[in-house]
Amino acid sequence: MSLQILVNGIATGSVYALIAIGFALVFNILKFSNFSYGATMTVSAFTAYFLVASKGFGLIPTLLVSATAGAIVSLFGEFVGFRRILLNNSPTTYFFVSSITLATLYEGLVTIKVGASFFRYPDFFSVSTLNFAGTVISKSDIIMFIISAIALGILAVIIQKTRIGRALRAVSFDREAAQLMGINSTLIIQITFVLSGIFAGLAGCFLGIKYTLTPTLGSLVVKGFISSVIGGLGSLVGAVVGAMLLGIAEAICLKIFGSGWATIVTFAIMLLFLLIRPQGIAGSNVQEKA
Amino acid sequence: MALFINVLTQVCITLVAVCGIYVLTGLTGMFSLGSAAFMAIGAYASGLITIKLGLPIIVSFILAILMAVVVGFVIGLPVVKLRRDYISLVTLGFGESIAQLLIQMNYLTGGANGLLGIPRKVKWPIALASAIVSITLVAMFKRSKYGRQCIAVKSDELAAEAMGIDSSRIKMIAFLLSCALTAFAGCLYSFYMGYVDPGIFGWKKSADWVIMVFFGGVNSLTGSIFGATILSALPQFMRSLRDYRYVVYAVMVVLIINFKPNGLLGEWELTPTHIKETFKKIKNKFNRNSKES
Amino acid sequence: MALLEIRNIYKNFGGIKAINDFSLVANKGEIHGIIGPNGAGKTTIFNTVTGIYNADKGEIFLDGKDITNLPQYQITRLGIARTFQNIRLFSGLTVEENILCAFDFMCKYNLIGGLFPTKLRFKEEKRARELCRNYLEIFGMLEYINEKPENLSYGNQRKVEIARALMCEPKILLLDEPAAGLTPTEVSELTDLLKYVSKKFGFAVLLIEHRLDLVMSICEKIHVLNFGETIAVGTAEEVQNDPKVIEAYLGVEE
Repeated sequence: MSLQILVNGIATGSVYALIAIGFALVFNILKFSNFSYGATMTVSAFTAYFLVASKGFGLIPTLLVSATAGAIVSLFGEFVGFRRILLNNSPTTYFFVSSITLATLYEGLVTIKVGASFFRYPDFFSVSTLNFAGTVISKSDIIMFIISAIALGILAVIIQKTRIGRALRAVSFDREAAQLMGINSTLIIQITFVLSGIFAGLAGCFLGIKYTLTPTLGSLVVKGFISSVIGGLGSLVGAVVGAMLLGIAEAICLKIFGSGWATIVTFAIMLLFLLIRPQGIAGSNVQEKA
Repeated sequence: MALFINVLTQVCITLVAVCGIYVLTGLTGMFSLGSAAFMAIGAYASGLITIKLGLPIIVSFILAILMAVVVGFVIGLPVVKLRRDYISLVTLGFGESIAQLLIQMNYLTGGANGLLGIPRKVKWPIALASAIVSITLVAMFKRSKYGRQCIAVKSDELAAEAMGIDSSRIKMIAFLLSCALTAFAGCLYSFYMGYVDPGIFGWKKSADWVIMVFFGGVNSLTGSIFGATILSALPQFMRSLRDYRYVVYAVMVVLIINFKPNGLLGEWELTPTHIKETFKKIKNKFNRNSKES
Repeated sequence: MALLEIRNIYKNFGGIKAINDFSLVANKGEIHGIIGPNGAGKTTIFNTVTGIYNADKGEIFLDGKDITNLPQYQITRLGIARTFQNIRLFSGLTVEENILCAFDFMCKYNLIGGLFPTKLRFKEEKRARELCRNYLEIFGMLEYINEKPENLSYGNQRKVEIARALMCEPKILLLDEPAAGLTPTEVSELTDLLKYVSKKFGFAVLLIEHRLDLVMSICEKIHVLNFGETIAVGTAEEVQNDPKVIEAYLGVEE
């Protein structure tokens, strides 16, 4: 029984992890919550649907298209919405406002194309579920878990082992100092948005598979916020850990409380963390300077 | 004509809420994504009190606003001590929880179907009068020592504390005032529509209001009102454009944020001082141009 | 009983001993100087006294009352006002409003007055504005009363900041490098102003400065800091001839 909950939780958690990591990447480097992330997921998922999935291609092409779309949209957002704010050194609130407006824009565009109806990705998998140790696991969940793990693994390698990754870490620590050390901060920020967009595409696609494709898919980005808060805002590892914990917590709450209360409980968990341990589990940086 | 009256009423109700958001975000610099939840409290509470207890509308309004202020106080206690960046997430959490909670309380609030059967007593004169009263109150607030302290805390909290300002207290006052105004807007809303639709009180609504304030001029009450009027009226008049109107809306805002980040009106206020200044500037420009020719 | 008594305070940041056993006693009307090379801990002392930091060890007494770990705004209300090394005027407020802010905690009307035009509000606002004009007149800044601070020259911004601190009606004024960035004329103007103001209002002044001409000319007692330690305390004469001070500033001859 509880193993089933655990399995469900991990499955959801792995999708949340993709949401959380894309969100955390931008938070890490620019120190603000990119509220357009959810809408980016939506646009990518729909683009992939219309260009690829509805035409009969399989999972991998769909994912690739979705990831690419996400990267492009994300880059566009950075240029249109955030570049000037960065250059003007405006206070962080402007980022929020800009990102929310972008979200409205993206969702508006999707709604124009799609109306209020919802779509489903075609079934990518032949046999849909597996039975294992008394629990039921859907094949799609397994594949999504594996792909998430691979994507996260690649990201980890990039961040830890490559020059770009080092530059990324430098810029997130202190943008101006990094600039003075010869790192092209603007380029690094663009790269971060591209990475974030790729994850948005993957996440959007998976959410489309797991649930349905609607223009409001993006509101699930809240799970990304919550995961990041639990794991520690600004920490990439924390985002993933937080996402897993959130997935499992949600599965448990769903069982005990039902779906309505489960939402409230998950928010309550987030609030508890914010108020009692704002650094989250990973307990990362950003102290108030005197 | 009927469309115009409808739009006017709805815009006025939005203006009441936006006054609250101006106090919270424009004056004090706190970015809240849970303000719509207070509108929900105002709407549901006033509706329920009238329907179930049969009390006169004025009483329902007052009780509903009081309730919102009490809830606001409880939420405000941690919020005013938090770092700026976290305030948006905490208010998001509270806002969504409250909105969801109201839906869960099926037996009382009608759940996902909403609360029905509220007498539609609010028409455009009341809405307009409420908007004017709210704007006046906030203008008075801004010119008072409270407004000054809010702006000081927003500008430099450390220096404000060094000048003897209790920043937690002033933030709480601003927060409670905004809760009261948003709840008032909620009361007006429910007695105008006759029902309460639970789905509209999420973070998107709160975000819409913040965008209106920034669009018109985050540092200016006049600007915020102006921005709110444009952004809430326009979609109504653009109905023929159907879904494109959101795109137009978003594009407008993005342009302003990029090219005029202080909003359409910047810091300009509709006060004698500012009007005189503007006239002087126009006169100077005119003189310079005529001298050159 | 002394007006301000700082007793053996210590402040560490991680492994760095920013303040290592600092003490000071100031009485009404006295002007004390705190000097030392950059990084010696001078601003940290101000920050600890005014409540931005909490002292790790030691006590601070104002008029006999222990203010050691009180929140910033309470310390200000008890009678300590300060200016900042990097001028911190409030943007979004005019010069007048900036100064009025410092008086607001003494302003007697409440939220009712804040929202409605009550008589008390008019009375208090009038009182505050008059006081503000007084201070601006003393500093010769009355013409800038409705200007935005960012439009003023650096020297004028300094004056506004000091006027704002005075509006708190402090018993002790802490000035953090008030002469930084000023031309020699402005410095001598400032020196005269400080002398005048401290005699007229009778408070104690603690002055952090690098401009030794200013310090030596108006300070009765000077504390010299280096790496958090107090290396000399005395009058201008005594401190100028102290070998340890000379070594700290100029180095030792090989």
